[in-house]
Order: sequence, then structure tokens, then C-alpha cells
Amino acid sequence: MGAPEGLEERRALDGGGSVLSSPAMWVGVTLLGGGGAAAIFGNGGSQRFLQSYLLAFTFFLSLALGALFFVLISHLTRSGWSVTLRRLAEDLASTLWLAALLFVPIVLGIDELYEWAREDVVAHDAVLQGKAAYLNTNFFIIRWIFYFAVWVSLAEYFSRLSGKQDETGDPELTLRMERASAPGMLLFAVTITFASFDLLMSLDAHWFSTIFGVYFFSGSTVSFFALLAVVVLFMQRIGFVRHSVTVEHLHDVGKLTFAFVVFWAYIAFSQYMLIWYGNLPEETGWYERRQEGDWTWASLGLLAGHFLIPFLFLMSRHVKRRRGMLAAGATWVLLMHVLDLYWIIMPQKQFDTAGRIPLHGFDVLCLAGFALLFIAAAKQTMGRRSLIPERDPRLAEAMAFENEG
Amino acid sequence: MRGLAVLGTSSDITLDDPTRRAPLVLGEHDTTSVTDTVCGVVERPKPPRAWYVAFAISSTLATSFLVLQGYLFGVGVGVWGLQNPVGWAFDIINFVFWVGIGHAGTLISAILFLFRQKWRTGINRAAEAMTIFAVICALIYPGIHLGRWWMPFYLLPYPNAMQVWPNFRSPLLWDVFAVGTYFTVSLLFWYMGMVPDLASLRDRATTKVRKIAYGIAALGWRGSHRHWHRYERAYLILAALATPLVLSVHSVVSFDFAVSILPGWHSTIFPPYFVAGAIFSGFAMVATLLIPAREWFGLKDFITLRHLENMCKIILATGSMVGYAYGVEFFIAWYSGNAIEQFTFLNRALGPYAWAYWIMVVCNVVVPQAFWLKRVRTNVWMIWILCAFVNVGMWFERFVIIVTSLANDFLPSSWGYFTPTWVDLCMLAGSFGIFLSLFLLFCRFLPMVAMAEVKSVMPHAPGYHGADEEHALGDVRKAAGESQESEIERTNAGNGRAPSGLLAEFESPADLIRAAEQVRQAGYRHWDAHTPYPVHGLGRAMAVKDTALGWIVLAGGIVGCFSGLVLQWWTNAVDYPVVISGKPFWSLPANIPITFELTVLFSAIAAFVGMFVLNGLPKLHHWVFEAEHFQRVTSDRYFISIESSDPKFDLAESRALLASTNSVRNEIVWEPEESSVSGPGSGNHS
Repeated sequence: MGAPEGLEERRALDGGGSVLSSPAMWVGVTLLGGGGAAAIFGNGGSQRFLQSYLLAFTFFLSLALGALFFVLISHLTRSGWSVTLRRLAEDLASTLWLAALLFVPIVLGIDELYEWAREDVVAHDAVLQGKAAYLNTNFFIIRWIFYFAVWVSLAEYFSRLSGKQDETGDPELTLRMERASAPGMLLFAVTITFASFDLLMSLDAHWFSTIFGVYFFSGSTVSFFALLAVVVLFMQRIGFVRHSVTVEHLHDVGKLTFAFVVFWAYIAFSQYMLIWYGNLPEETGWYERRQEGDWTWASLGLLAGHFLIPFLFLMSRHVKRRRGMLAAGATWVLLMHVLDLYWIIMPQKQFDTAGRIPLHGFDVLCLAGFALLFIAAAKQTMGRRSLIPERDPRLAEAMAFENEG
Repeated sequence: MRGLAVLGTSSDITLDDPTRRAPLVLGEHDTTSVTDTVCGVVERPKPPRAWYVAFAISSTLATSFLVLQGYLFGVGVGVWGLQNPVGWAFDIINFVFWVGIGHAGTLISAILFLFRQKWRTGINRAAEAMTIFAVICALIYPGIHLGRWWMPFYLLPYPNAMQVWPNFRSPLLWDVFAVGTYFTVSLLFWYMGMVPDLASLRDRATTKVRKIAYGIAALGWRGSHRHWHRYERAYLILAALATPLVLSVHSVVSFDFAVSILPGWHSTIFPPYFVAGAIFSGFAMVATLLIPAREWFGLKDFITLRHLENMCKIILATGSMVGYAYGVEFFIAWYSGNAIEQFTFLNRALGPYAWAYWIMVVCNVVVPQAFWLKRVRTNVWMIWILCAFVNVGMWFERFVIIVTSLANDFLPSSWGYFTPTWVDLCMLAGSFGIFLSLFLLFCRFLPMVAMAEVKSVMPHAPGYHGADEEHALGDVRKAAGESQESEIERTNAGNGRAPSGLLAEFESPADLIRAAEQVRQAGYRHWDAHTPYPVHGLGRAMAVKDTALGWIVLAGGIVGCFSGLVLQWWTNAVDYPVVISGKPFWSLPANIPITFELTVLFSAIAAFVGMFVLNGLPKLHHWVFEAEHFQRVTSDRYFISIESSDPKFDLAESRALLASTNSVRNEIVWEPEESSVSGPGSGNHS
């Protein structure tokens, strides 16, 4: 297995060019804009659209953050094997500027999504009044400007230095990135935690869980590794990085996906178990809403689909080293990440979803719109230079790397 | 940057050069000198004076611990400072502290292994030993806490008084399974990793006692490549099992607190937060032990400054995770809007135990920040002192969590202030005595560095030996080639006995692999290659079939999983149903910890037993041990053996085949006379 022998490997996308010239971009904008307009001017109100929008936004944000994490951890650990994959991660993390732009509609529709943003609700709710110093629209906006400032600058910093190394080949740049990765990781940990509190946990503003930031991180990471496998396999199929990314690298991406599937399950179980066992009404309500009516099936589906199935499937070395099987497993994990986020976002009191799963065309529309926009943005960032860090001092090590077990 | 420019000549291996990997072993070491240095620690007639001083102090403390236990059981638990409301005090604090210390060993042996961090080979053996001793210290405390330590079997899952089964929905019972499994798996992992090194000690032993003791402990290991193949697979499997296990152990310990609804205990971040803290304190303890040990036993070439620097970085990383958890807990306590949560955290920082809280914060969060500075990370004295702070801080973390939450709980009328007695404090000191005594004995009698693993990460180009030795070996080879006939004549002196087989000796893995290709192509089946460490590429040359060990482990895991489920279902839901905390009789979430632990336990035992059984070990005697030079197989030489039972075996033809290889010495091993059957330790080594 591995790439077909004798085929030429391409390492640079043609052109790149402006993201505005990409048809995918315009189709995506049309989909999201059309959906939004239909929601606002239709008679259903914009809330249902915003729920779908939030789902799609969170999904793509988490993937980009997972990519940023991979870049940071690669430098932090002076990783050698991952050099040929790092550029793809840099490029995917570089789409964070797009996430910043796409955050605007969430701010505009904030009172449709978050109860703490509605003065009439807060006025009658002592708990929300107690949290108002943190949960208020202005501070929310300030925090998100800070998060995006951190994320976009981290992504740009590592991407720029890595690109510069393609030209100069200076190993000193590697050392600079390694040194920056440690404080970068601290900033990343703090921002992703509070971002998850703001974006997801505060949908139910009464509920709280100290592990929630880690939960969001685990989901982001596992789905990024799945995405990485899918992206690499796709790029190889259309002729790129066929030799520089070998089956050994794919095997490792598969192993990391497997490991983080288990990590996700560990974190999810820890949260569930402690709340279930403690049995305090202020905490159990969150799970109760996810266990009533049709939502029971979503919860069980998550247990089976986000843990048991990928755990058993990806355990085999055979599977991780076969392109088709790895692609199937990775796609499955990505779908389950959508389910996980859907399961977190949708069953809210303010969305009136008690006992039923509110599937809606907007869900598909927003996911498709976001997908097109992110593909266009990623294609543009990938087109800027080679898909491989050509003169990274550890490139040879990465190419020669073989799994022992 | 200046660093890069001077790298070529500098001996400072903590400098970073991205264009190459820093060497893992310093000095002019080859396989021979690795064996000599590491075995030398055990073989020297007397340990250094510092060892005696340390052992005198630690064994005195350990003895005082035993005496105090007698006092405790004689007089009663009142000699401790336990009271209402702080009914859990030093014993549980010390338990959590010691279990946590153990985690670094497993992180190094399993998680860093899976992440291919090859620098771990220098420190994993000592760290794993430390894990085992720390878990022993931990296990003593719940044993004492039961009040009747002579009845520890009450913890086991059997229907004790009045046919009542233990409550499987209790986190305290999960602890028994988690820590018990952890201890067992760590022990198996440690011992399995040590077998090849014990064989080195066996082959070098000069006294009868050592020959017998190390001979039995080494289980007849003969460095066979077919054995190495299964050994490596078992190692990988055990690492893969130990990784979730180590996460589970401190998670389960954290459940002891977090499943309750006591403010300050009931927090969902507890599991990962406890694991991070455990690794944090464990690494600090590894550094505390290894900094003096590498000095006293001359192991600085293997446990280098770079190893210490890496450990500092891990301490900094895990310390940051602990700081993160402190911060998130504080924030969520406020955010929850729950007045009791808010009070608990303010009370920790400003209340009667504020002194303990700030010791914890300073030692665990502030002090490790010094490790951002390379100057600190590369100064052994600074590392040692800062790690001592971390150890203190992590002990206080457990103190703060346990004592502050209990002392000021929901009922202000029952609030109290816990003060330890001298017995509490002396028993804490005594547990350090037990821990250090065991560690010092380990340093004296067992190989402190995993020799076989270190050898496998050293550069082994053929002829990697020093120039002088290369010359000498060349001579040996020439001499061997010339005198082959006469040597065979000489070994032929066994007259009339049948040959057991042939043995060819090589000095480099490359020669061995080429020879193995030849033997395989000649069509032999009952033959083997013997090496001091697993040589990659040899499996292909020998066409070794992939081992079925994975399937055995899978079967073990399935059996463990189902026995865990059935045990808990039958005892708590069928045989003796009891309502506990409003939970259903059969409550799956509460059964997951024990099911998980039993799955891992059965899988690990299957891996360990399966590996040795498939390898036909223990088998203390084997014909290759009769050969004259075979003992070097556990040090620095590579062998091919062809058994006389092979259908293609023909003394003259097979000899000619081996002679055509690049071997430095060939030997015929004759069957021993009836009366002179001898073990591996007492073969006819000259």
C-alpha cells in the first residue's frame, strides 16, 4: 500500500490567488446569506437559523483550533515525524481569520441564542444576575476579540516563520518557533477554555462544569486528527504529497485519532459520572434534557458512535495502514463530532426542544456553507507556498521515519 | 545564535540544534561498556559511603514507622489527630500523595514509550522501581485505616460477614481495584523489562549466590530473536494498557472525593486535574532520587543533564496544568452562583487554612516558573531544591483538598480545626523511610538503567567500537578463521557425545543479519539468533512469523471485561441487593471503573504470561548455555545457533555454512555427560 509507485508528487497548489476569486467562497456566502435572509424574512424567526449557524461555526472553529494545537505541540515536543504534516496543519489553522469574520452574526443574534443576553430574562433570574459581571454582551465581545487576536496571531506567527524557513533554511527559525510554542500553548489553553465556556456552556447559563474546557479541547483535537487524515488522503488522491507523506505518517495520524477518541471518552465519562453520582439538581438538569424523549438515542448514539465504534475500528494496525479504511474511520469521527456538538448545542430550554431532536434544513445548509468557505480559505492559504516545510531541518528525519510496532 | 556556532565542539548536550538529535548516551560508550558500567554498580563489593549514610537514616525511619504502627494498634486510633469533622486526615492524604508519586514511573515507561521519546531509556528503570515503592507506601495507609490490617482480605470481592458483598458502587472499592491493578501491572511491566538485564547479571555473576539468584530471576533468558520479537510486542501492549491505566488510577482516586457532594470535592475537573498533579509530583520525586543516584553510582553518562532538563520541562508543563485546574475551579466556584461553593474556595484562600493553601500555590504554581529559565533547568542543585518544593507543595495540595473541605462543611455548628499529632507526623516521615530504603536496596541489587533498551538506542554501525578494540577484534577474527579447524578439534575432545548444535559468534548486528539470511536460505528451521538487545531487521532476515500475542491479550481483555460486569451485576443486583445513595441495583456508570480495571488487569496478565509461555520460558537450562563464550550474548555479542534436531543438520555441512559467514568464532556444543547437567549460571564458562 502507500502511494502508487512511479507517480510524480506535487507539492504546490497552482496559483492560490485571492480567496475572493474562489467560486466555493461565493457559493458558501450565498448559502449562508440566503439561509439567513430566509430565516429573518420568513415567518419562523431567525432563532432556528442561528442554532444551525452556531453548530457549523463551532464545528469549523474547533477544527481550526485543533490544527493550531497540533502546530504548537509539534514545536513544543521538537517533533520529527510530523514535519511533513505540519504545513497542512499550519494552513488549516490559518483559516482562523475567517472564523473571526463569521463570528459577527453570532454577536448580532446573541439574544436569540443566549438567555443571559436578554435583559427581560436576567431581570427575573437571581442566578443570572450573579453572573452578569462575566456574562454580559459587552464583555463577551471583548473576550472574543481577545481570543481571536490570540488565535490569529499564533497561527500567523508559526505559519510565517515556517514559510520563511522555506526560503532561508535557517535552523534558528525552528528554535524560535520552539521557544514561542510554550507560552503559545499556555495562551491556547486559557483561551480555548473560556471560549468553550462562553460559546457552549453558557447556552445553559445556570449550568457549570469545571471540566468543560477540557471536554471541548478533546473533541476539537480528535476531530482535527480525523480531518488531517481526510485532507491528506484527499490531497494524495489528486496528486499532492504522495511520497513525502507516507503510510507511516498516516498510521500515526490514525493512532492519534484513536488515542484522542479514548481521551474524549475519558473526559466525557468523568463529567457524566461525577454529575450522575452527585445527583445535584443544579447539575443533572443538563444531562436530563439530553436523556428525555428522542435525545436518549442521541446520547446513546454518542456513546456508541463517538467511542465504541471508532475505538474498536481504529484499534487495528491493519485499518490504520489502509487508505480506504482510514478514510472511512476518520470521516466517521468527523460526523460524530458534529453529533457531539449538536447534542451540546440544541437541547436548550430557550430553544424549546424538550424531548425531540429538532433536525432542520438549516443544519445542512449552514454546515455546507461553512464547509465551502473554509475549503476556499484553506485552498488559498495552502496555495501560498509548498505543502511541505521544504527546508525544515528535521524534514529528512520525518521522511525516513518508520513505525516499529 | 551563539549556541549553534559552538555546538560542534561543545560538550554541553543541553544546547539545541534542530539539524541533529542530541546523543542519548554521553562518553565513549559501546555495548560492552554499558554492561560494565551498569552491572558494575551492582557488582562492586561495597556501595559508596553516601549510600550507607542514606540507608542508615531511611531504615531508621522505616523502623520507626513499624514501631509506630504497633503503638497505633496497641493504643488506638486516638493517637492520630483524627476528629470530627476531619475523619479523613493524614492517612488519606498520604495515600493520595504516594499513589500520585508513582505516576511518573508509568508515564516514563508507558506514555513516553508510545510517544517514541527515546531519552526515557536512561531513566525508565529507576522511575518504574520508584512507582512500585511509592504504591507500596500508598497501600499501607488504607490498610492501616481499616483499623484491622491483619484482615485486608475484607477488601476483596467475597461475601464476608453475614454474606454481604462489598458495595461495588463505592469509589473506595474502585480504589482497591484501581490501585491493586496498577500495582500488579506496574510490577509485571517492571519485571518483564528487567529480565534481559537480569540475564546480564547472571552471566557476569562470580559468586554462587548471585548465579543462582539472578539465574532464577532471569528465567533462562538467552536473547533469542524469536523471544525478543514477542517480548517487544508484549512491551508495546503493556505500554498501551498502562497508559489508560495510569490515567484511570488517579482518576479513580479523585472519584473518592468528587462523587460526593462536598463543596471543594465535587468538581468535574478532578480526574484530569489529579492525574496532572500526580505526574507533576512524580517527576519531582524522580528528579529528587536520580540526581544523587547518578552522582553516587557514576551514571551521569546515561542520566545526563539533558534528561534532567527534559524532566524540568515536564514538571513545568504539568505544574501549569495544575495551576490551570486551580484557576478554573476558582472561577467556576464564583460562576456557579452557589453560595457554598463560593464560600469553600474563599475559605481555602483566606480562612483558617490559608497558610496551607498559600504553601500549595507557591510551591506548585509559583516556584516551578523558575524552570522557564534554562540556567535553572541545567543546574542540578537548583533542580533538586525546586523539586523538593514541588514535593512539599503536592503533599499540601492533598492536605488542602481533604482537610479544608471537611473542616468547614455545610454545617457551621460542626466546624473544627484539624491538627496533626506527633504520631501523624512521624508516620509520614516513616513512610519516606520505607520508600527510600526500598529504593536504596534497588540501587544496590538490581540494574538501575535498562541496559538492553539503552543499547538499542545507541548508534550501532558495524565497527562502532573504539579504534583500539576494533583492531583487537580484527585480530581475533583472523585468528578465529585460521584456527577454526584446531578449535573444532579442541572442542571435539568431548569424544563420543552427540552434538547439541552449532554456535557462531558475531561482533556486529550487520554481520549477524547477513549470516541469518544465509542460514535461512539454506533451509534450516531449528535455528535462532541471539542478541543483547532486539535487533531490527533481523526478523525479516529470519522470516520470523508475527506473534499471536495480540489475540491472546484480546481474549484476556474480553474475559476481564465480562467478569467485571457479571461480578458486579450478580453480587449487587441479584445475590444481595442493597439500596445505596438512591442508585439502581445495577447501575452501569458506577460499574465502569471496576470493569475497566479488570479488563486491563486480565489483558496485562495475558500479555505477560502469554509472552513467556509462547517463548517457552522459564527454561533455566538450554544447550546454548553450555557454549564457552555464550555469556557475552547478554552484553555485547551476537550469535546464531543451529540445533542438531534440525532435519537439515549435518555436522560437517552446517559447520561449513557457519564458517562461510563473517563470524568471529564457531563452536560445536556437545551434549553434556549424564552427570554434568548444569544450569545457565553454572555452565562451563572458563
